[in-house]
Amino acid sequence: MRILPVVVAVLVFTSCRSKSDVKMEQYYNQGEILYTRYCSNCHQKDGKGLGLLYPPLDKSDFMDQNFEEVLCIMRNGKSTPTIVNGKTYEQPMKGVTALTDLDIAEIATYIYNTWDHKRGMINVNEVTNKMTKCEE
Amino acid sequence: MRSLLIVIAVVGLLSACKQKETPLPIFGEREFNGQDTTYHTIAHFSFVDQDSAAVTNNTFKDKIYVADFFFTTCRTICPIMKTQMKRVYDATANDPNVLILSHTIDPEYDTVGLLHNYANMLQVSSDRWHFVTGVKDSIYKIAQTSYFVTAREEQAEPDGFIHSGAFLLVDKHQRIRGKYDGTREADVDRLLKDIAKLEEEGE
Repeated sequence: MRILPVVVAVLVFTSCRSKSDVKMEQYYNQGEILYTRYCSNCHQKDGKGLGLLYPPLDKSDFMDQNFEEVLCIMRNGKSTPTIVNGKTYEQPMKGVTALTDLDIAEIATYIYNTWDHKRGMINVNEVTNKMTKCEE
Repeated sequence: MRSLLIVIAVVGLLSACKQKETPLPIFGEREFNGQDTTYHTIAHFSFVDQDSAAVTNNTFKDKIYVADFFFTTCRTICPIMKTQMKRVYDATANDPNVLILSHTIDPEYDTVGLLHNYANMLQVSSDRWHFVTGVKDSIYKIAQTSYFVTAREEQAEPDGFIHSGAFLLVDKHQRIRGKYDGTREADVDRLLKDIAKLEEEGE
C-alpha cells in the first residue's frame, strides 16, 4: 500500500514533462558535473574566465560563432590564439582526451544553455558526427 | 537565582569580547637565548622575476607578503590558486605594504619570458606581484625548509609535479604568520582578515 504515493508521485512528475525535457535535464545535470570537474578550474564556475589567461564562456562571441570547433577543443585542445569578444587569449589549452562523445554532448548542453546561452540540447549523435570532422 | 546567573553569563560574554584579539601565531621552531627569542625566518634566497629583476629577501624588506608555489601549465589546482591570489591582489590594491611572491616549480619550462606573458595575461603589475623562477633545487628547498610546503617533481601526477596549494603569510620580519588553502575561498577570506591584523600589529 505504501507504494501508492510513490506511483502517484511518479505519474504527476512525468506527466508534466515530455521525454525530451527529461533527456535535456539529464544531459544538463551531468554536463554541470563534468564542467565543474574538467573546465571550471580555469573558466570558473560562473563562466567568467580569468584575466587574459582563460577566456570567458558566459558571454562569448567565439562560442556563438564556432560551435563545432568548441566541441573539438574540449577533447583536442587549442594551441593557436583565440579571439573572444575582441580580446586575444594566447595561453594554449590542453584537451581533455578522456572525454567521450557523450561527455562532450553533456558539457556542450550545459555551457550552451547556461549564462547567456539558450541553444537547446546537444545530442550525442550530433557530437559523434561532428567529432569526425575535427582538425587535428 | 536563575536570572542572576544569566545576567552574569551575559556580562561575562560581553566583557570577553572586549579582550584584545589574540595575535597571529609565529610558525616554526624557536630558540630562547636568555631574554631573546629567535624565530624561524625565511632563508636567504635570490630568484629572478618576470621583468628579469633580481628578487631577494631584500625585495620584501619592511613588507608583508603572501607566497605560493605553482607552474603555468598546471591545470589542476593552480588556476584556482591564481583566481584566489588575484583576489588578494585586488583586495590589497591600495596597500603599498603588501606584496605577492609566486614561485614556479617548473623553472625549465617557466622561463622569465613565459612568466612575463603569464603576468600580463593575468593583468597584474610586477611592482606588487613577483613571479619568480630560479635554480630548481633552490626553489624546492626553500618551499620545504622555509615555507614548510611540498613542491617536487612526481611523474605519477597528471601534470608531472606535486605541490601544495598553500598561501603563506609572511610578516615584516620574514616570519611565517599564517598558512591558508589557496584553493578555498573561505580560507582566503581568512587570509585577507589576517593581513589587516598583521598591519595593525606594527613593529
